[in-house]
Amino acid sequence: MDRFEKEEALALAQLRARDFWSALVLIAVALFFLWKTSGLSLGVHSGAGVSSAGWYTSAAVVPFGIFGALLALALVLLTISIRAGGAAQAMSALGLGWNPQEARRIGAIGLILLSYIVGLVPRVDFILGSALLITALICGFHSRAGRGALVPVLALVLAGGFALLTYPNQTEWARSGDDWVTLLLLIALTFWHQRTGGRDRAVRLTPVLALGLPLLLICAMAFGFRQNVPNRGGLIFSKIEYTYYVHLRPLWRS
Amino acid sequence: MEFLFGQMLGFASAFADLVVDPWTYVYLISSVFLGIVFGALPGLTATLAVTILTGFFGNKIPLDYALIALLGAYVGAIYGGSYPSILLNIPGTAASAATAMDGHPLAKQGRGAEALGLTTTASFIGTLVGTVALLIFVWVLLLISKNIASPEKALLALFGILLSGTLMSEDLAIKGWIAGLVGLALAMVGMDPILSEARYTFGWSYLLSGIAVVPVLMGAFAVPQIIDGLRHMEVGKMIELTGRILPNFASIRRYLPTIGRSGVIGTGVGALPGVGEDVAGWVSYGVGKAVSAEGDKFGKGSLEGLLCSETANNACIGGALIPLLVLGIPGSPPAAALMGAFKINNVIPGPTIDPAIILRVVAIMVLASFTMFVMGLFTARVFIKILRVPQTVFLPLIMVLTTIGSFSVGGGLNDLYLMLGVGAVAYLMNLLKYPIAPLVIGVILGGMFDETFRRTLLLSDGDLLAFVSRPGAAILVTLNVALILGQMPIAKRALTRMKGRTV
Repeated sequence: MDRFEKEEALALAQLRARDFWSALVLIAVALFFLWKTSGLSLGVHSGAGVSSAGWYTSAAVVPFGIFGALLALALVLLTISIRAGGAAQAMSALGLGWNPQEARRIGAIGLILLSYIVGLVPRVDFILGSALLITALICGFHSRAGRGALVPVLALVLAGGFALLTYPNQTEWARSGDDWVTLLLLIALTFWHQRTGGRDRAVRLTPVLALGLPLLLICAMAFGFRQNVPNRGGLIFSKIEYTYYVHLRPLWRS
Repeated sequence: MEFLFGQMLGFASAFADLVVDPWTYVYLISSVFLGIVFGALPGLTATLAVTILTGFFGNKIPLDYALIALLGAYVGAIYGGSYPSILLNIPGTAASAATAMDGHPLAKQGRGAEALGLTTTASFIGTLVGTVALLIFVWVLLLISKNIASPEKALLALFGILLSGTLMSEDLAIKGWIAGLVGLALAMVGMDPILSEARYTFGWSYLLSGIAVVPVLMGAFAVPQIIDGLRHMEVGKMIELTGRILPNFASIRRYLPTIGRSGVIGTGVGALPGVGEDVAGWVSYGVGKAVSAEGDKFGKGSLEGLLCSETANNACIGGALIPLLVLGIPGSPPAAALMGAFKINNVIPGPTIDPAIILRVVAIMVLASFTMFVMGLFTARVFIKILRVPQTVFLPLIMVLTTIGSFSVGGGLNDLYLMLGVGAVAYLMNLLKYPIAPLVIGVILGGMFDETFRRTLLLSDGDLLAFVSRPGAAILVTLNVALILGQMPIAKRALTRMKGRTV
């Protein structure tokens, strides 16, 4: 067996071990939803001595079929995995496919995206929040690739966490305290990125991209396409909106 | 003859409408440009281009213009993938993977400009072949599809999901089917289409209206790509171009039969539900290698090999639009994103679609292919410069585009949470080698499947024989069963034995 064949066999063994876990998860999901589906009306309804409907009218018919098929296929996958030795290797490092470096990378991206979507987008000015996201991602995964993304992750988590914990309720989302914190973190991260990121052209252009693109997008959405945009009361966008409607628009409306 | 004449007249009228409208050029030039950029940047795909533009333009401008933007990006992105394939040996999109086989060796021989000129021409001709097929076959199929009733619709939806699951799965076919079932399951969320009974909403009122298509598209196609692409990648050394990028008409004339054959293969593969341009490129390349007199030169810098894949992947676009427009079943992952655009505009592709939309789609495709051809010949060096932009710089910007696109479709923050959730699941599925396209197709077709399946039962008083009592339905049941049985080990072994005997 040559090196290529060995690598291929190893990859297949790892995949089958992972299939073992995914089959178990799918079985659990299918069983849970079959149980939830059993809570739906099964269509056989009798009232005042009259049977009004058959099983085939039920909203549960198709879901039963789908989750039943899912359960059956998950069992087939489990069998394939066990036959290929997936169960035996499921708990080994090979089966879990654990790669600490990759886990750190995905964990960092996951935290950044979660902080951005759950913490920043609803509460913080979109331009500032997105600028922080772009700076953090370029800083962590372009200029500092392989050197760890702890500082960019911390900046995002701090900004998102502060916004989420200080203003948890929707009635408070228009307040600007979290906007200022995000702005400060953006400035700090930008300086740090410029100092430590090397002389790459992408590093030098990061602030322009980080502020320019969200600014362009939100203005296009709000004033060009007249669409709903996140957090209209944000620190920068509220000023832009005020200027647009009070000073600019009357110029061509009149 | 009369039919063809009528078709050409309808097309000419739609084309003239398009040509005289100045806004056409604004949307077309910008979207084709953006599409080529998306295709040229390794890590960004045609599906991503169409998905992001669906979020951005889907319901914000009239559908007529939205279609220009989406189809322009689709055509541009499939073509754009050839740049990194030829110059870097990295396919910009999966569709152009086969292009790299001969494109890069040609570039290494100092014939990069010639290769780019040929791919531009081949992509242009390929798109036109697919478009002509779309113009002709869509009407023939539309006439046939008038006889399609609920049982056939339900079985067609199932066939689409099963076929895309079978063909798109890198590993086991059942993984593709599982992905399709997960998509179907997602489509069951919300009020059921017949009795309006709430299903699986877990008390979240947002889910009552069902799972929105655009956040699912964004989550399934954009988020995993962003997570996966944010890693350091050594971009290979780009081969410098010498000479001008011009179409080599002598080669085109010489390989015209190859181009014609690849166009037909690409269109045919595209017409299969859920099977994308990558499959079209490889199938055409494989057939070309088998039948060509120069087959032994394939993979070593053969112009014919290059033409096989590039013509087919662009011809696939027209093919992919046939099942989308006729049956409401997307022919490829980017077509699934297009279906999303139709859905958010309340246009239901299928036998009842407005014929004017089909003619407009054909006219847009022709104009988009011209635009792509002109841009490919005159602005190729701009795209080559863009190739140098690392994906670690581009993907953060895509994340912001995805966010605002998904937010503004209508569901606001809830759509973003859904997008993130679907994105996480899709990333895990990618990791475990479950294909994503069947999931998206399942979400898109789930509502139709549920409604038509139950309507059939309702009309037949629960008699399951209703699914085999009509000839069309019986054929579809046979196809579905054959597709499933064909993946069984016993059937596979029997097939191998039979092949052995014939050889």
